[in-house]
Amino acid sequence: MTGAAAAAAPVPLLDVSDFGLEFRTRSGTVHALEHVNLRIHKGEVVGLVGESGSGKSVLSYAMLGISDAAARVTGGRALFGGLDLLQADARTLADLRGREISMIFQSPRTALNPIRTVGLQIEDVLRRHAARTRLGSGTGVEQAKGLRERAVQALREVAIADPERRYHAYPFELSGGMCQRVMIAIALACRPGLLIADEPTTGLDVTTQAAVMDLITGLARERQMATLFITHDLGLAAEYCDRIVVMHAGHAVEAAPARALFATPRHPYTARLMSSTPDRQGTLAALVPVPGNLPDLRRTDLPPCRFVERCTRAGERCRTAPLPRLDAQAAHAVACWHPLATPAPAEAAHHG
Amino acid sequence: MAEAASALLQVERLGKRFAVAGRRGAMLHAVDDVSFEIRRGESFGLVGESGCGKSTLVRLLARLLDPSEGRIVFDGRDLATLPAASFARRPERALIQMVFQDPTDSLNPRFTARDTIREPCLLLAGMDRAAADARVDEVAAQVGLPPELLARFPHQLSGGQKARVGIARALAPRPRLLILDEPTAALDVSVQAVVLQLLDRLRRELGLTTLFVSHDLNVVRLLTDRVAVMYLGKLVEVGDSAEVFEQPAHPYTQALLSAIPGHGPRIRLTGEVSSPIDPPPQVCRFASRCPAAHERCSREAPALHGPGPGAGTAHQAACHVARWPAPVLAD
Amino acid sequence: MSSSTTIGHVRHVLSDNPVTLLAATMFAVFVLLALVGPFVVPYDPLASNAARALQPPSAEHWFGTDALGRDIFSRVIVATRLDLSIAFAAVLMSFLIGMPLGLAAGFFGGWWERIVTRAADTVMAFPLFVLAMGIVAALGNTVGNIVLATAIINLPFYIRVARAEANVRRGAGWVEAARLAGNGDARILAVHLFPNALPPAMVQVSLNMGWAILNAAGLSFIGLGVRPPEPEWGILVAEGAQFIVSGEWWVSFFPGAMLMLAVFTFNLLGDALRDIFDPRRRT
Repeated sequence: MTGAAAAAAPVPLLDVSDFGLEFRTRSGTVHALEHVNLRIHKGEVVGLVGESGSGKSVLSYAMLGISDAAARVTGGRALFGGLDLLQADARTLADLRGREISMIFQSPRTALNPIRTVGLQIEDVLRRHAARTRLGSGTGVEQAKGLRERAVQALREVAIADPERRYHAYPFELSGGMCQRVMIAIALACRPGLLIADEPTTGLDVTTQAAVMDLITGLARERQMATLFITHDLGLAAEYCDRIVVMHAGHAVEAAPARALFATPRHPYTARLMSSTPDRQGTLAALVPVPGNLPDLRRTDLPPCRFVERCTRAGERCRTAPLPRLDAQAAHAVACWHPLATPAPAEAAHHG
Repeated sequence: MAEAASALLQVERLGKRFAVAGRRGAMLHAVDDVSFEIRRGESFGLVGESGCGKSTLVRLLARLLDPSEGRIVFDGRDLATLPAASFARRPERALIQMVFQDPTDSLNPRFTARDTIREPCLLLAGMDRAAADARVDEVAAQVGLPPELLARFPHQLSGGQKARVGIARALAPRPRLLILDEPTAALDVSVQAVVLQLLDRLRRELGLTTLFVSHDLNVVRLLTDRVAVMYLGKLVEVGDSAEVFEQPAHPYTQALLSAIPGHGPRIRLTGEVSSPIDPPPQVCRFASRCPAAHERCSREAPALHGPGPGAGTAHQAACHVARWPAPVLAD
Repeated sequence: MSSSTTIGHVRHVLSDNPVTLLAATMFAVFVLLALVGPFVVPYDPLASNAARALQPPSAEHWFGTDALGRDIFSRVIVATRLDLSIAFAAVLMSFLIGMPLGLAAGFFGGWWERIVTRAADTVMAFPLFVLAMGIVAALGNTVGNIVLATAIINLPFYIRVARAEANVRRGAGWVEAARLAGNGDARILAVHLFPNALPPAMVQVSLNMGWAILNAAGLSFIGLGVRPPEPEWGILVAEGAQFIVSGEWWVSFFPGAMLMLAVFTFNLLGDALRDIFDPRRRT
């Protein structure tokens, strides 16, 4: 992007730059994330795509301050509306969670409290942030009634039929799809500016999946809410996201608008991911799996590009030079020395 | 078109009902009047969403459950008459084997990979330990499992490796029918591709007949010759995979396919899912959500039928308003 | 690192946690004492010497002497064998009967499960020590009946552990897979479920050993079971009880301390045993 265009670009709601994270474990230090750049703007749906072990969930947990105790931030900033989430204290983060930034998780039934009715669970969030969300006034009874109405309204907004009755339901009485809607209701009860959806439809039927995704993206557009949609399903990301960031082994390797990414993937890993996913047109023989395995992130000798051992386009520079950072300002950014659509290095790659 | 291959498995009017806890006399119709056949050497797909009864159907076919009624004719022999409780000890057990959905859950955490694969050889194929070990090595090589992994426990193996152990275990007793219950659902995308290609290769090399159950329609389309679609315990459509996926006749199949990302405009299903408990027999199960429902659909439950006389019975749908593909005129 | 072998794994578990190593060492010491105790003690535990009665701990009598002039140290050491044997026999009996009952109950469910769990609940409804007293009193005052009584009152723990494990795992994929591989019900219980129920059961075993020792000692303390002059920690404590008030504390103290140490060792050992038996801890 040129200087003029960059100057006119809106300020992102979440601006993650050069973020690194590691885990101290008994079997060594796991370098889970390194030099991650990510930007989400208001009203934008950004997909974070990667296989398991790529660090996508770890990234989102770190944003919210709910990482595992063994996690250590090694660098970078995560600016949310001027506040650096990585430096914020626990109390500030607790205030933010549920009110400004919300998260929904993978297995809806296990993410909900099994011994509490869904209505009460929605109210819990409302009550927690009542001081800041205009519910703090009025008598106890008025407050309770207000909370209840808000909860029923939240259920209605996620297209749950008969919300007054469902208010009293326990999670086990509801189907997987409905539990996911309840989780969305809880997450959106206080109208957060940023929603992080961590594999929200894995395990759901395809028709339910479509309905839940429609709901999330519909609400996001209606409220101009930024959404970070984490998934391993490329097809799903392509369908619902404005922009996609591809992660591999703790690195953000490519970022582009969804359509551009699928039309012309530039990172070899992205291309390989696409060619290993069955889709409408392909044949079984055309499925090309990604070669090799994810590198062990506990190694102390990790190469600067973590895809180098699985890459057919790798050159000398890939093994030694620090990886080019993903330019968060560029429209279609890639962290690679020999992206696709440029010539591969003359020497063919030989791996041990 | 004449029947190309004879049927290995014929399912006739199979049904399974469960008593509903807490409600006297109420029965949940998990599988209802299901009939189809699987031909020798073919790959048959079974798709449907959660609650459609495909898990129950699979367990009936694998003889882990007894049906409420119906016949399961395998190579001319009705296996439904053999009770599930004692089926494990019968010689017929080796004929039908299954690969499970969750590789982690389907491996005994205290058995090494070798123990797991060896067990059916010892119990079903009557081999002694030496012969069984040889068979383990043979089948591990077939599925691409490196021999040094055989001494490991499940928690020391990756998802893809565990999947291979499950496949090896199923192949070890040389079954005639292999049931694959969502074999790649729990795997990463890149591993999935490898396992799918492996399954296809094994099927062709070993001449296996397979029943492939999945909710991932893209995957089923790639691996199967024919496919059946289930909804609330009933078969709603059966036919050649290519035709069913390109030109689905039943409204449910159409909606299902449209829900896959990238498959064009979505057909939204509205309305309540009808209950599988004591369903009224004269009403089509899908009528409550069907965008093409007709008043006849609540009066007369449709049976599986083809488009009409002269068009053959290859592609069938249980629907009064099915949209049939235009017949291709042969030159 | 030979962690994949059994010895290697045991060594790994022991070195992993210093407390475990301590417990294992103490256990080894107790077993050693039980085996060779009678041969290495300085005095004959039964030899009385009225002249040296009630002498406080000294260089010749490390734990002092009792009312009959017997060396308390020797008696305490020799008693190890009896106490450990009783406890071990009782726990073994409990385990061998309780585990299969519990596994079958959890696996098959239905009326069989109801009968077994009700029986276990009935046993647990009694104050266990009183029940043990009752059983010994009813069946006769012998060491064998102490073992039997202790075994009976510990049965419910194994039944419950085994039933819970079987109940949880009977729906697991690998149980179904085992059926497909040709396992009948009996084989599934014995070969598949039992090894998976072992880790929690091993913790029970160790805790039970501690309780069984306490139980046996307690019964002997009140005069049931082991009779004097047979050295047994409970009896030794009983013999010294009357002297505490008059200041000869050592007669009860040392047997009591030994008892405490033994129970403590077995409690610590519980975790170590579970880790040894759980393959998930092998890396």
